Amino acid sequence: MNRSRTLVVGFVLLVLVALHFTLRPLLDWRAGVDFLVIGVLLVAVRVRPGVAAVVGLLFGLVLDALNPEALGAAALAMTITAFAASRLKAAFFTDDLGLNAIFVFGGKVLFDVLATIVEGRLRGSALLWQLLAWTPLSALATAVVGVVVMAMVRPAIDEQRFR
Amino acid sequence: MRRGAARADSGVDTLVAAACVVIAIVLLILPVAPRNRVAGVIRGNVISPLVAMQERAVVAGRAFAVNDSLQQVRDSVLARSLRLGAVEAENARLRDLLGLGRALEWGYTPAEALVSGTDGAAHTLLLSAGRAQGVARLSAVVAADGLVGMVEHIDASTSIAIIWPHPDFRVSATTLDGSAFGIVTAHRGDGVEDWLLELHGVPYRAVLRAGTPVVSSGLGGVFPRGVLIGTVLRELRTGRGWARSYVMRPAVRPSDIASVMILAPNRATTGVESVWRPQAEAAMQRVRAAADSIAELRAKAAADSVAKATPRVVPAVAPIGVPAVAPDSIP
Repeated sequence: MNRSRTLVVGFVLLVLVALHFTLRPLLDWRAGVDFLVIGVLLVAVRVRPGVAAVVGLLFGLVLDALNPEALGAAALAMTITAFAASRLKAAFFTDDLGLNAIFVFGGKVLFDVLATIVEGRLRGSALLWQLLAWTPLSALATAVVGVVVMAMVRPAIDEQRFR
Repeated sequence: MRRGAARADSGVDTLVAAACVVIAIVLLILPVAPRNRVAGVIRGNVISPLVAMQERAVVAGRAFAVNDSLQQVRDSVLARSLRLGAVEAENARLRDLLGLGRALEWGYTPAEALVSGTDGAAHTLLLSAGRAQGVARLSAVVAADGLVGMVEHIDASTSIAIIWPHPDFRVSATTLDGSAFGIVTAHRGDGVEDWLLELHGVPYRAVLRAGTPVVSSGLGGVFPRGVLIGTVLRELRTGRGWARSYVMRPAVRPSDIASVMILAPNRATTGVESVWRPQAEAAMQRVRAAADSIAELRAKAAADSVAKATPRVVPAVAPIGVPAVAPDSIP
């Protein structure tokens, strides 16, 4: 990424982080939009997998700090999700918004599944409900918002590529 | 060469990712105390602004939620207080009616006004008493405040009455002291004036002051003597020879008609002078007090205008070409 694209991505990332900590608690949906996952995926597809893994770790630590009972669970899940997203970008990250939606949906599901299992807080039917109902719903909401975000920022980011 | 470099990069990426995974796992397996310390350091230094933002968002969300519930509480309290006002008004009306029933003593049928003020039938009332309750045609309909109208049509258990704004409504009327007689009809005016009454045919020598109560005279056999009809507001200039006409404020407003009494025909012949006398006197006092305050205001305004019109003092010897009287004092 050149410098101006980095700045744009950084700004979008800041906005997404701010939304995650303001809009998400304000809406207080049971299956809420995960703005941090959108931000991590947005970065992950534009950087090398190693860098994506570091970004994932940092974002995961931010989430973990608010839930010290499972410190490291979100970091681990976000690291793996970001690394996988960066590896898969060639296959998935095209101009097709539908594929982008699937990409965000899959990223959110992977993150939730990993984080929920590693955290080990939920068991039995509660775990099943979380993984089979709330995670897909949350992933769906995240995918919708993620596609909107990507559609909005793509002109600003990709324009640089063709200059 | 290039493929080799790419492979090396890929290896570095994998190593970095593995290191991140190891860090995460280490954090996961940390004992509780150091884990809390690490989380506290991150919270206190890196994400404290984010935590503050989240806190504000949560507080704002709660404020929204509380606002909704407060609004609901306020609305329900308001609705109850509105209902309470209606209940109090109804209570007062029923007390008045009970008092009226006690004062009338006999020869009446209580009824509820079921339909009133609908378009096209604004001058009639459907009453909840009919032939079965002993209601007869042309019976007087009264309320606690005074005259309402008369029954025109009777069914088995309901009846229809015309009320005083009806064009066919007529009642022979007199003042409380019997010094003047006339016929009361609905007043045909514009807007609010349409809801007033007219007293016609008052002898020219009988001058009625504003606030004079007018009651039914008992002539004609429909309305008993002494039912309060309204109070005189002002004289109506008609230019009809040797009789005067007056505009009257009705004792009963059509919108207030809810519970009424239908007087039996034989009750009409005995008179009810004492029943509405207190209301008539109170109405007279109210209107006179209002008329006095209006007169006082007019007098004050007139005095002010006279003071403004008084000529200013001018010099005894005016310069040549200047008038001796100030121009603004010339009427």
